[in-house]
Amino acid sequence: MKERIGVYVCHCGGNISDYVDVEKVCRAVENEDGVVLARTTLFACSDSNQNEMINDIKEHNLDGVIVASCSPKLHLATFRNVTERGELNKYTYVHANIREQASWAHSDDKTGATEKAIHLVKAAIAKSRYAEPLYPYWFEAEKTIAVIGGGIAGMKATASLADKNSNVVLIEKESRLGGHTAEWGSLAMTDEKGYELTERIAGDIRNRENIFILTGAEVISTKGSIGNFEIRIRKKPQKEGDPSEIMVMKIGSIVVATGYDHYSPKDGEYGFGNSDWVITLPEFKKLVDSSTGKILEYRGMRISNVVYIYCVGSRQANGGNSYCSRYCCTSAIHTAIEAKKKFNGIVNIHLNRGIRTYGKQELLYAESLQMGDLYLQFNEESLPKIFVKKQKMVIAVKDILSAGKELEVEADLVVLVTGMVPRSDRSVGSMLKLPKGRDGFYNEVHMKLRPVETVIDGVTIAGTCQGPKNISESVNSALSAATKSYSLISKGTLETEPIIAKIDQENCSWCSKCLNACPFDAISKEAVHNREVAIVNASVCKGCGMCTPVCPVDAIDLTGYSSKEMMSMIDVLV
Amino acid sequence: MIFLMEERIKIEYDALVIGAGIAGGEAALNLANTGYKVLLVEKDHSLGGKMILLSKVFPTLDCAACITTPKVSEIARHKNITIFTESEVTHVSKRGQNNFTAEITKKPRYVHVADCTACQLCEKACPVNVTDEYQYGLIGRKAAFIPFSIANPKAAVIDIENCTLCGACERVCPTHCIDFTMETELYELKMKTVILATGFRLFDPLEIPRYGYGQYKNVITSMQMEREIAPTRPYNTILRPGDGKVPDKIAYVLCTGSRDNTVGNPICSQICCMYSIKQAQLLMGALPMADVTIYYINIRSFGKGFEEFYQQAKGMGVNFIKGKIGKITEKENGNLILRYEDISSGVVSEAEHDMVVLSVGVQSNPAVSNIFDAGSLKLDFHRFVAQKDLMGSPSKTSIDGVFVAGTASGPMDIPDSILSAGSASSEAISYLSQPQQQ
Amino acid sequence: MNGALKKSAKILVFSTEKISDPAIDMAGLLKLHYPPTVYTLTVPCSGGIKPAWIMYAYEKGFDGVFIAADGSDCIFGESCTEKTGNIVSMTHEQMKEKELDPARLRMAAICSVCSEAFVKQIRSFNDYLLKTRNA
Repeated sequence: MKERIGVYVCHCGGNISDYVDVEKVCRAVENEDGVVLARTTLFACSDSNQNEMINDIKEHNLDGVIVASCSPKLHLATFRNVTERGELNKYTYVHANIREQASWAHSDDKTGATEKAIHLVKAAIAKSRYAEPLYPYWFEAEKTIAVIGGGIAGMKATASLADKNSNVVLIEKESRLGGHTAEWGSLAMTDEKGYELTERIAGDIRNRENIFILTGAEVISTKGSIGNFEIRIRKKPQKEGDPSEIMVMKIGSIVVATGYDHYSPKDGEYGFGNSDWVITLPEFKKLVDSSTGKILEYRGMRISNVVYIYCVGSRQANGGNSYCSRYCCTSAIHTAIEAKKKFNGIVNIHLNRGIRTYGKQELLYAESLQMGDLYLQFNEESLPKIFVKKQKMVIAVKDILSAGKELEVEADLVVLVTGMVPRSDRSVGSMLKLPKGRDGFYNEVHMKLRPVETVIDGVTIAGTCQGPKNISESVNSALSAATKSYSLISKGTLETEPIIAKIDQENCSWCSKCLNACPFDAISKEAVHNREVAIVNASVCKGCGMCTPVCPVDAIDLTGYSSKEMMSMIDVLV
Repeated sequence: MIFLMEERIKIEYDALVIGAGIAGGEAALNLANTGYKVLLVEKDHSLGGKMILLSKVFPTLDCAACITTPKVSEIARHKNITIFTESEVTHVSKRGQNNFTAEITKKPRYVHVADCTACQLCEKACPVNVTDEYQYGLIGRKAAFIPFSIANPKAAVIDIENCTLCGACERVCPTHCIDFTMETELYELKMKTVILATGFRLFDPLEIPRYGYGQYKNVITSMQMEREIAPTRPYNTILRPGDGKVPDKIAYVLCTGSRDNTVGNPICSQICCMYSIKQAQLLMGALPMADVTIYYINIRSFGKGFEEFYQQAKGMGVNFIKGKIGKITEKENGNLILRYEDISSGVVSEAEHDMVVLSVGVQSNPAVSNIFDAGSLKLDFHRFVAQKDLMGSPSKTSIDGVFVAGTASGPMDIPDSILSAGSASSEAISYLSQPQQQ
Repeated sequence: MNGALKKSAKILVFSTEKISDPAIDMAGLLKLHYPPTVYTLTVPCSGGIKPAWIMYAYEKGFDGVFIAADGSDCIFGESCTEKTGNIVSMTHEQMKEKELDPARLRMAAICSVCSEAFVKQIRSFNDYLLKTRNA
């Protein structure tokens, strides 16, 4: 309990003192238990007052400091810093907001404002009596960073981390790097081919001292937490029949870059599986890239009319994939332009639900229109129907652009513009307990504040495993994730916020309610003197307090917000 | 942080970040958190760019201020970041690898920021009224003013162009922080890498006279509507500027200045569909009796959660009409007639609304290329900063060691700007970590 | 509780440090007046408020308790809304046992710039409490 508290009530140049009688506040609190000094000051935050406070701490041997002034948002850090310079622990400092929450809010009632200010300062004193010195928990972090997934995002994240002199292990399930991007030939918005791009990036990371590349390798288990992960990897043997190798690695932080799967149309969806000439966009891209000659042929048929049906597997109503896959309009139109340029007699007919060539990609749409491509638009209430008429494939569509006319289009080849879906192999996400968004892709903590972090400390997500995006956007996401994963452990020793939950293990009767309430998996069971009790992992606990109200025997308190402190403040406020 | 002027001139920085909007701020934070010393130069009086002036952001409807102010506060407090506001970088020359020199002009604010407590007494005392650019002309402000309630630094500014030098502000200031003797300061500073985060301009609909902006009082831009909806807004509700009436039939005109060769901008601005849907949802909430109609060519709700957001708006009763607005005319009572081709019926129609919001697009700030020696910073066809390696390293520019973040390279929304800033700072750090070559 | 007619009810507000507190601050900044007998206690997250504290507040003489919840803005994740709801349910149970009017506990999600919403809530809560507590 504190015995020598110093209280400073700020005039704030009139902002407070015009409505709150600051002298009266001082007089009302100077005789409270534990208070040895109470005075007013014109500007508590001014350099001059800060220095006076430091002198007071030393001269009067203060063990607690309170400033009653403006909102802590402005100067909490400043005053904590002052207490540190006065050689006290900065977490013993307590702040009272008597500007925004007293003088300004009640500027219509000076008596009321003053009374409230007195109550708020007394509450701060009550809290200060219990405020203990707090020390962050320090531990040595592992230095290696693991990148799971060797597609374009994974490779760029690896390169970025290696540039920062980090040790990186890149783990790729397939036998080669490059992911989906390596399967593409020509790409929209650039002259470089997909496999050329991936070869360039892969070349950058091979043979670098601090990068360890494992292909044909899968993560089979993970445990631990930030700074301290342990992952097990199974590597496929070089020779068939040989046993696989199991590797165990100690890792500081993880970048998940496991990518996406192509949507696979169901049997019968727009004739898929019934006709050989209904194919998906990725299959069509391969066909266009690999065909030589001036005529496009597929399975022995000359292809002239190419009909594209958009939004297959995306923007589905009724429980399907409701999201837009973002990359496909641009990719389909780009491929259509390629096909028309490369082969004679190509007629492109785009059956779409509104073209989404956003940003500079709009120019491709304009180019395609200039080249004579046809665009018909349908809406989700009346989808196109595909049938065979006189041995030709025909698609019937209700075209919005001609005020709802029912049209029929003949096709030599139907290209289903398929979107991206989350990987069917969810193992990495399950192992790391990564939450999924409504769309099934991994969820970031906050789209704007923390776009590459997950609720699991030390695990970031990069590229399309977070959601559909194009190559350029995947690279931006990967570099951001790499920077974040690096900064999480770069200091070497990690400090945790000292505001954590504390469990009174003597009273704990292990019911697991707190473990279930914790959103961060910071609570686990341990055996102490032959009893099972709960224990908080100090390096993972975020200090949210969600475990505290659920304990049936009230054995958990949050440091700085203990029942003792809160109730003594309530005593004084009433 | 306050340095003496002489100290500032001598200091070398690791990185110069030009522009303190969300992209510049994020890039500066990433670099600073990695231990590098950053100089963040902002032309305006506050950090936060356009984002801090928004109401809520799509698709989550988080309030923009909630997200921007903590970031801005973190940037302002960071020991590795030095901030210059009301400052412009006039020239950057590259002397070699990791070796840049920047000439910076810092205009006088006439207020000592460290001593200002934002008490607003100067504002009350000032006799001069001018239009408030932070409220996009919706209301006025004084010549001695605090830019807006959540500005950072939260300190007064004297708009010297409109100031009458009457001294009223100086007399009432309790900390005596107003100083009319402050002068323009010129700096020449060294740094090892540069990040351009100079943002974008909004399309000025005066370029499309047939929409009536500037002529018809009840035709406003989306940014003006944004300010009307924002919590720190000028009026207590949504009003139409012509007569102060609360509107009940509002129209949105999408693609104002985008996908439009006639105004020289053929590309899509990427954010307007979404921000219009967002505003429509907020209007449905704020004015439950109102009718909101969005006239569009295509609805581009392509990002995470966007399509669901669009469906949600439809569910709330927002009307979506496919048809580009050809012309807007005004009625005597201030209402507007919109003329368009209604695609669903194939007929040219007219509709009456009492307020029209033009969803203006994103344009580049090509002046950024003038900072560098002639021709060295390449711009692309649309006069955004050209990205040398769009697929492999989207933040690299035509100058080695100079990177681009955010909308300076092209239209993008807030999450994409933040990721782009993460990408730029990552490349900048790689550049800084390279072994020196002679 | 004094028998004399009170001008304003004693309300204890549990507010969250990063989300609702800035809104309450801004209410002061914008001079949106509310009764001065409204006191705020700050916690990291509304999901960490103990029902015991709320019951203690009533015991000690508070007329009403208002929880300014994080809602979907909570920095600790999405489970906050549900957990805060559970806390209210748990407290209501205890209030029922003690025959306390459950409407003396209110909760609303207050975002970091929702000052007007906060003041509106407090004023209406205050009106309700004055009516029912003085009767």
